[in-house]
Amino acid sequence: MIKPNDIESRLASTALSGIQFSMATDSKGVTTAWCTLANSADLLPAATWLKAIDARLSTITVFQPKATLAPAVAEGEEPAAPPTFLGGVEKDGKSYEIDYHFDLDGDTLTLVAHVATGGAIDSLTELYRAADWPEREIMEIYALEVRGHPDPRRLFLDPSIDGAVLERLIPLSTLTNSATTKGLWEKILAQTGILS
Amino acid sequence: MSNFTIPVGPLHVALEEPMYFRIDVHGETIANVDIHAGHVHRGIEYLITKRNIFQNVVLTERICSLCSNSHPQAYAMAIEQIAGIKIPPRAEYLRAIADEVKRVASHLFNVAILAHLVGFESLFMHVMEVRERMQDVKESVFGNRMDIGANTIGGVRYDVNVESISYLEEQLDQIEASLIEITDIYQTSGSILGRTRGVGVLSHADALDCGVVGPVARASGISYDVRTKAPYTAYDRLDVKVHTLPDGDVWSRAMIRLAEARTAIDLLRQCIRDLPEGPTIEDHVRPSIPAGEAIAKCEAPRGELIYYVRTGTTPKPERVKWRVPSFMNWDALRIMMKDAKISDVAIIVNSIDPCISCTER
Repeated sequence: MIKPNDIESRLASTALSGIQFSMATDSKGVTTAWCTLANSADLLPAATWLKAIDARLSTITVFQPKATLAPAVAEGEEPAAPPTFLGGVEKDGKSYEIDYHFDLDGDTLTLVAHVATGGAIDSLTELYRAADWPEREIMEIYALEVRGHPDPRRLFLDPSIDGAVLERLIPLSTLTNSATTKGLWEKILAQTGILS
Repeated sequence: MSNFTIPVGPLHVALEEPMYFRIDVHGETIANVDIHAGHVHRGIEYLITKRNIFQNVVLTERICSLCSNSHPQAYAMAIEQIAGIKIPPRAEYLRAIADEVKRVASHLFNVAILAHLVGFESLFMHVMEVRERMQDVKESVFGNRMDIGANTIGGVRYDVNVESISYLEEQLDQIEASLIEITDIYQTSGSILGRTRGVGVLSHADALDCGVVGPVARASGISYDVRTKAPYTAYDRLDVKVHTLPDGDVWSRAMIRLAEARTAIDLLRQCIRDLPEGPTIEDHVRPSIPAGEAIAKCEAPRGELIYYVRTGTTPKPERVKWRVPSFMNWDALRIMMKDAKISDVAIIVNSIDPCISCTER
């Protein structure tokens, strides 16, 4: 069991816009809990409380969940509101789901925040030094802004490469361009005109 | 004294893989370190969403070589959670055996490189020779020296019999005897102690702050091991000894690895002793994987490896994210190297047992 036992109500009292909480324990006694925030602005208060109970930030996952199609509308009927995540961010295939995985002495608690496309999320670097690299990586693979990051440089990708790489279709042939040194060498030679 | 900025890497004789350190020095003393990564970034997180769930067992094994077994294991564990698959007891023990065999080889490789960097070449060759026995075990039992292909969704792809068990036991006896001797050398040799004691210190408080994991954390007094904190496969039935040391220097990290290699041998013997009979895979028909999400963790040789998997309605996963232990440990280098001597850079970098290809993916 995740400690403290009243973690759900404690999180609810820090994330004031509302949460959705679920928890499951496997046959070996390892608990995994999920806490979806209705408002991504509640991330900092919730993370501050987690830091106070010695939670360790393991990593952060970001992705754009697939769009959920709105139900078909019969003639003359008003179309229903488009499907949304908890809190109202549209499930349009472009909004971001950001999962903050915290370790609580072996158990895992994931804080889930949703941000619409073009939006931003607060940086956790003031609370967690370990948030620095994951947030820098987020900013280079998605067009998601991390507010207040002290060092928003590229982490792995060269500054000459266009950002938001996971939001674009990259052909496999491009992705594997340098997969063999021979292929890379021939490409360089062709570019320099020696092999023409 | 003059101030200089010295580049170390990305290609450097002391680095096994490419990483670029921009080191500001005041005389011979390091004032600041900036780390530039990305030289072996291959976009595997993108590629994994373009292949189906079963093909990715093969892909994840190729993210890294030294901890190649941990990746497909954690990935398979996450998929099994989503699909509600319970692997057979024999498979749980066989997974632990594969894990510990890889751990011994990985830890010995790192302490061997330490001897090489210190200039103790005869010790380097001796430790590599001992590690070679474990490589032989991998080749004989699994059929390969690095990517052992032990895991599959729902169980394992290999089995042991009376003959391979007796071969494994024989090798374990030999490796253990050598390990005792090697540990004694690392504990007493002036050549090792002079270069590693009090070098590259990471205090307990800094270790907590950086969120470091694995032997790096345990050498700074953090008693955290996924095998005991969040048991998986057979570890809930095995007696796992967690080693910690208080000083957080290069020597402590090497000693933790040597102690863990011996514990791994002990765990292998426990697995052989308790190995249940039965199938090695839940079902030989490929299971159908529903939509869902899961988190799985395991203790790779370098520390906690965490996988997050989200599946949808297609055969390809919607998102797979993993964080390798080295990813957390890089940042701690900036603290370890502060005020260190420029000549100790390679030894300090090696002490986190860095894995660049799995950090950058």
